[in-house]
Amino acid sequence: MAQPDIEPLVRCQGLSVAYADLDGGLTRVVSDASFTIGAGEAIGIVGESGSGKSTLARALLGYRRAGSSFVSGSLTCAGQDLLRPSPRTLAALRGIEIAMVPQNPLASLTYHIRVGRLVEEVLRTRAGLDRRAARARMLELLDRTGLPEPKAIAERYPHQLSGGQRQRVVIAAALACNPRLLVLDEPTTALDKTTEAQVLALIESLRREREAALVLVTHDLNAVARACQRVLVMKDSRIVEDGPVDQVFGRSRVAYTRALLGSALSLDAPPPRRAQRGEPLLDVAALGFSYERGGMLTRAPSGRPTLDAIDLTVGRGEIVGVIGESGSGKTTLGHIVAGMIAPCRGAIRFDGRPLAGHVAARSSEERRRIQMVFQDPLSSLNPRMTVGGSLVRPMRVFLGLGRAQSRERATALLSQLGMGEEYLRRFPRQLSGGQQQRVAIARAFAAEPDLLICDEITSALDASIQAQVLDHLLGLQSRSAAAMLVITHDLSVIWKLAPRVVVLQAGRIVEAGETSEVFQRPRNAYTAALLEAATRARRLKSGAATGHADSRVEDALVPIGAD
Amino acid sequence: MIVAVARRIALSLLTLVLLAIFVFVATEIMPGDALDVTLSADELAMIPPERLAQMKRELGLDRPAAERLVAFLAGTVQLDFGLTIISRTPAADIIAYPLRNSVLLAGAVLAAAIPLALALGVAAAYRYRRALDNAVSAGAIIGYSVPEFVIATVLVILFAVLWPLFPATITAATRDPAHVLLAAAPLPVATVLIGSIAYLARILRVGMIEALASDFVERLRLTGVPEWRVLLLHALPAGVIPSLTAMALYAASLVSGIVVVELVFAYPGLGQELVRAVTRREVHVIQAIALSSAVVVVGLNLVADLAILLLDPRTRR
Repeated sequence: MAQPDIEPLVRCQGLSVAYADLDGGLTRVVSDASFTIGAGEAIGIVGESGSGKSTLARALLGYRRAGSSFVSGSLTCAGQDLLRPSPRTLAALRGIEIAMVPQNPLASLTYHIRVGRLVEEVLRTRAGLDRRAARARMLELLDRTGLPEPKAIAERYPHQLSGGQRQRVVIAAALACNPRLLVLDEPTTALDKTTEAQVLALIESLRREREAALVLVTHDLNAVARACQRVLVMKDSRIVEDGPVDQVFGRSRVAYTRALLGSALSLDAPPPRRAQRGEPLLDVAALGFSYERGGMLTRAPSGRPTLDAIDLTVGRGEIVGVIGESGSGKTTLGHIVAGMIAPCRGAIRFDGRPLAGHVAARSSEERRRIQMVFQDPLSSLNPRMTVGGSLVRPMRVFLGLGRAQSRERATALLSQLGMGEEYLRRFPRQLSGGQQQRVAIARAFAAEPDLLICDEITSALDASIQAQVLDHLLGLQSRSAAAMLVITHDLSVIWKLAPRVVVLQAGRIVEAGETSEVFQRPRNAYTAALLEAATRARRLKSGAATGHADSRVEDALVPIGAD
Repeated sequence: MIVAVARRIALSLLTLVLLAIFVFVATEIMPGDALDVTLSADELAMIPPERLAQMKRELGLDRPAAERLVAFLAGTVQLDFGLTIISRTPAADIIAYPLRNSVLLAGAVLAAAIPLALALGVAAAYRYRRALDNAVSAGAIIGYSVPEFVIATVLVILFAVLWPLFPATITAATRDPAHVLLAAAPLPVATVLIGSIAYLARILRVGMIEALASDFVERLRLTGVPEWRVLLLHALPAGVIPSLTAMALYAASLVSGIVVVELVFAYPGLGQELVRAVTRREVHVIQAIALSSAVVVVGLNLVADLAILLLDPRTRR
């Protein structure tokens, strides 16, 4: 592993990368970055989106995106200058000494070429193997990255593989020349939690086996806790902290790092308080949704996951969480309750009466009583309407309030969300992401709903702002006594808001119950995997297990690529 | 794959049948029948009613519409579009050579335009927002927006009058062999070519810019794969695929729609024939031209669809 007495593999001194603005100025996306990477060392780079971590990762390969330039500093790998590299240096380094696994495995493979050919291409053009040797080595690499039946996989096109399989192919291509440094940019963001754990296990075992250094760029502290020894924390283009993982995560002195950690799920925090369950407000029974198969002349629409046999009750004033990963059907469920799509099977009852499937068939009163807040506040607010206009509209349409009265209420709503009267005249674009989402929440509450559907409302927000928005939401909810259906992939949001939770996997409810019960003693292997992945960084902080946690979970997650 | 191909062929055939019915109905719902439409008001006034009724009987215009539709469709399948009313010659014979000539002109234009547009579009996209791209983009907008009759006139002044290299109008006859016709037609080909290169280069440039900005191109560059492979083997097919349908429709429009250029140069193509048929009110010839244009559009669209199936594995389902 890392040997301090020899020259580090990568040495970066005061590196700045900037994009040229339209007015001729420069916007720095990486400022004054200094760090080293030892041979065989595993380093995590964490930070929120826009903190410059991806730009820094690309700089490690001497690569900058069009429009950006290296402004100052120095960066060397194995003694070679990476900022002003000669074409020969680059040809000798990229893919051979340093390899990159880019962010989006789904789009990183050329879609019209078979995946075997893609890996062979690297072997033939970069490792200089002939056709037969390249083919043999390609099959070996696919096998090593844990792909079943390499010969069959090699003949497939990228779209015929799952996300996890595609990421393995990308990793196989990156490993083709046995690089000394492997840079992974958000390698697991597009993958579900089960696959993520498998890919992280694979990366770990490959690194041990080949003694390559590793840079893991991610916003997921749990992934870093799992795979790295050292971590760099980036904020607003600067490296704000650099140190061993257990030290940084355990007792960071940097406020920003603590905020990042604070947004991670901690089961030590008090569980959401249990509300007494009132009479049922929303009752969903045996709900199902699927698309018909395409016929000879029509194509089957794709993209929306199916739902099967969903039973769910939300009491008056109750907050129920729905967790699951992308593709589990949780957003579809929210859209059905909101009436944006009609279910294929099953029934919805609202306040004791049957509720029509499609919103067009619902009464104005029913529409008022069920409101929704979306993931992306900016695209859900009318860009040509001021904040005041957006808030006053539902009051006038649904409640029939006069101009002065609704304006007064809008001001009151905003102040409850911590925003002053002056924001009424602003347009959505003039607000920050957190403010936009607060306005979207205020708009939903303006209609005085009995049920609020929140679909990933904090996912587009930075970690430091999430808590603030959730606090305001809880405050408004407790005052108005509206019930909420909180849909999210983020377990910490559920822990904070929802006393009761259902877990969705592939369109079915696999577990349901009290949140504290489900999170502390999950009975379902999938729920356990979600929790394991979400709590690793925190367990480091509390000084608990570092390497391998619950062996049952590990068994469930790492059936392949194990040493 | 086979299902996808079969589906597209079936859809194309269905489209053609519907188009044929539409052409028939469009003629049918207009006031008067084929004979009334063909004859001018003066001629109609001159012919005694008994003679008119007899003519209608001979042409089969007294039969019910449904019966005539079936006969029309059956005839169309056998390339029998009926006889012209005055000269009693088959409409198919009248349009056969103009159709060949139009296909010839369009083919010559496309054979030169596609490779040139491809080279320009790819080069511009590769040098996105640099001098070369700016020059190509500006040139394309100019080439595409200057009307063809202006280009035609300028070319005639330059290469037929000031420097008499080529004939100003076509000297070949409608039924001359293909090479004679083409040898006489460099100016019409050049006229259409300028607009074609401009149009095709524009759409190819956009497709290539998108392909070059894709994640897979970045991955290949970060892996150090040689740039020519990135450009030609990875980005080029991805950049061409989204343009194929637009290219096919453009090619089809060349066959049926270069009326202005044909008139300027007196080129004996389908466009000229259409104008002549309309002025002479030859319903069957107009129907035949409409249908053959439709066949070209649907056929080239099918070719584009099949090419996309071949190039993009994601569509083979």
